[in-house]
Amino acid sequence: MSSASTSRANIPLEDSIPQAGASLESILCTEELQNRPSRPSDYEKENRSLVALMSALANSPSSIFQMLAETILDITQCDSAGLSLLTRDGKKPDVCGKRFYWPAIAGMWNPHVGGGTPRNFGPCGDVLDQNRTLLFRHFERRYPYLMPVNPAAEECLLVPFYVAGEAVGTIWGIMHTDRRKFDAEDDRIMASLGKFASSAYQALAHIEDLKFQVAEREKAEAEVRELARGLEAKIRRLVEANVVGIAMWNLEGSIIEANDAFLQIVQYDREDLTSGRVRWTDLTPAEWRGSDERAIADLKARRSFQPFEKEYFRKDGSRVPVLLGGALLEGNGNEGVAFVLDLTEQKRAQEMLQEAQQTLYTTQVELARVSRVTTMGELAASIAHEINQPLTAITNNGSACLRLLANSSLDPEVLRQALEEIISDGSRASAVLAGIRAFIKKAPAAKQVVDINEVIQEVLALVGPELRKNRSSVERQLTKTLPLVTADRVELQQVLLNLIMNGIEAMAGVTDRPCLIGVESRIDESGNVLVSVSDSGTGLRSDGDRIFTPFFTTKANGMGMGLSISRSLIESQGGRLWAESNSPHGAVFSFTLPAAAGSPP
Amino acid sequence: MSQAPVVFVVDDDPSVRSSLKFLMSSVGLQVEGFESADALLKRNPPDAPSCLVLDVRLRGLSGLDFQHELAARNCHMPIIFITGHGDIPMSVRAMKAGAVEFLTKPFRDQDLLDAVRIALEKDRERRERKREVSDLKERFNSLTPREQEVISMVVSGKLNKQIADQLGTAENTVKVHRSRVMEKMHAQSVAELVMMIDKLESSVEP
Repeated sequence: MSSASTSRANIPLEDSIPQAGASLESILCTEELQNRPSRPSDYEKENRSLVALMSALANSPSSIFQMLAETILDITQCDSAGLSLLTRDGKKPDVCGKRFYWPAIAGMWNPHVGGGTPRNFGPCGDVLDQNRTLLFRHFERRYPYLMPVNPAAEECLLVPFYVAGEAVGTIWGIMHTDRRKFDAEDDRIMASLGKFASSAYQALAHIEDLKFQVAEREKAEAEVRELARGLEAKIRRLVEANVVGIAMWNLEGSIIEANDAFLQIVQYDREDLTSGRVRWTDLTPAEWRGSDERAIADLKARRSFQPFEKEYFRKDGSRVPVLLGGALLEGNGNEGVAFVLDLTEQKRAQEMLQEAQQTLYTTQVELARVSRVTTMGELAASIAHEINQPLTAITNNGSACLRLLANSSLDPEVLRQALEEIISDGSRASAVLAGIRAFIKKAPAAKQVVDINEVIQEVLALVGPELRKNRSSVERQLTKTLPLVTADRVELQQVLLNLIMNGIEAMAGVTDRPCLIGVESRIDESGNVLVSVSDSGTGLRSDGDRIFTPFFTTKANGMGMGLSISRSLIESQGGRLWAESNSPHGAVFSFTLPAAAGSPP
Repeated sequence: MSQAPVVFVVDDDPSVRSSLKFLMSSVGLQVEGFESADALLKRNPPDAPSCLVLDVRLRGLSGLDFQHELAARNCHMPIIFITGHGDIPMSVRAMKAGAVEFLTKPFRDQDLLDAVRIALEKDRERRERKREVSDLKERFNSLTPREQEVISMVVSGKLNKQIADQLGTAENTVKVHRSRVMEKMHAQSVAELVMMIDKLESSVEP
């Protein structure tokens, strides 16, 4: 026996089958069964045994194969008995159907439980191949790997059994000595037990399948439970954190459960809730019922509704603005969960913003008014300065001359120089005045032949103080030999003044680059005189030509008339006025005027 | 020692600047013109009575800013502001900061010349006072510590005997100190000495 326990490991795998010994015919003696003297049938014992097996199958299916082996041993009075099953582990195709293993053995070979034989080279395989009961004598003569399996088998009766017409295994009995030989009665009993083995096998397979299914379901259920536990914990955290109001409700209007945050929003207490006094239908003001109805329609169609803003009545009857979102719960389809966000702060902030914007707007309007007045005052101051400068120079020069004259020390050369300066300053002052007068009092158009460059210089002289005040500089690019144009000089001045002042204003907020007004005059492709005024200011918006429409303005204190008037003035003189973006900053306003007839180019 | 007075004109309008120079030179004043405050700052201050005719509206540093800049540089040249568009708050500011006059263009030539004369006189006095004080300081510093001690007791009206007691010396010694002090300070009488010390103590301006 002790050596038997080591023999189990010696049963070869199919890969290393030793050379066959004796032929199959030489180890079979199946036909002898019918010729041997047969013992009488003991049906009573047989029946008892079968009943016992049946009830064992019902009660403890796990030990049924062992019980079957014991029964074979008992009924046939052999020395060892057992089962061989074809491996059927579907997960291992290299093993499946390639080997027989011994799940149960009774008697002397009992220690070999778990052992087995190859499907394609062994007694069980022979039985399955021949599809009938076989009686072997000393099968180790053909299958040497069985030699170490002790004690040796004198005779072995092997009976196949089937499930759905397919052989799945054998049952067998072994005599290790010749004290008794198997006979026809054994053959009959084994055939009968083979049938039982088949049903036991099926029952077990079924049970295993069932067990597997049960295990799988349990696994799935455990996973779902785990998931639900995690989810539940998360939801509970959400509910208990009271970051948002959460309420459970039903379609009838009840609020079944709610967290503190929700109660805080509507200012009910928990007692109100548990007593069923808090109903969402009552919380909703009449004008929001429509929104609720839409949400319910959504719920019925899609089981959830898009979050929307509405109001709730608080317990004291005041209203609270909220954002509401929700969904129906799984199950009977009547209950749902909703989140509620208090929008009071948000609404207040919005209102404050609107108020602030209103205030800002009023301030801006007021500022614009003040600014207009201030601008006029400043303009007056500028004009005064512009005129006072030459006047001061004139009076100084005149006074000095008088003093020198009084001392009779006036050098004629000095006098001449002083008088020249006086005349020059005088004409400077009158030019300023003339410009202003023309600018204020729209003189009737007096067309004349004009040198545009002269007009540009005059206007630049006029805007000098404004340029200085705004720390802007001028870049002149005047083409010297320009044809003259026929135009109203004052109107041209007005247009240029308007364009340059616009440019200066557009650069008022510019701090990151030089404030540069560019004034250019040249002849364009059609032979017209072209003047352009560029700036490095904020540039044109996408408003395009709208800047030329009357009363359109981007300035807080603008009338929106300047460009409109300028364009009509230029157009009345046969020219065009347009705007383009300057690169990289600012805008360019250009106008053309036709060259005067007969004017040299 | 004192040179001819100088008038500085700062105005960025060349014709105004030139006419101002002409006007002031017609009454024999020495005039220098500058187109900006910076240009004037580059010139070393003259060792002569001087004043500044300053246009309020200047490129770069404005006239009023320039007034502060000069004060910060410890330059106390009197200033006459001229402006094309002077308003009251602006003139108040300028006068408070020590301007001599605030004239609005165009002004009467006599008003400007009067203002210039006053300014130059102020500067001359200021310079004289300054020189006198520094003179006195120099004399005072030439005294020994003991003499300085004695002088402060003399001007506070103490008698020789009291001074001698307080200093723990002989009355004769005090008399010697006194005569040395009078000599060194160029004082003819105790009354004159008191005035000198008074001037020294009240000279806030360096």
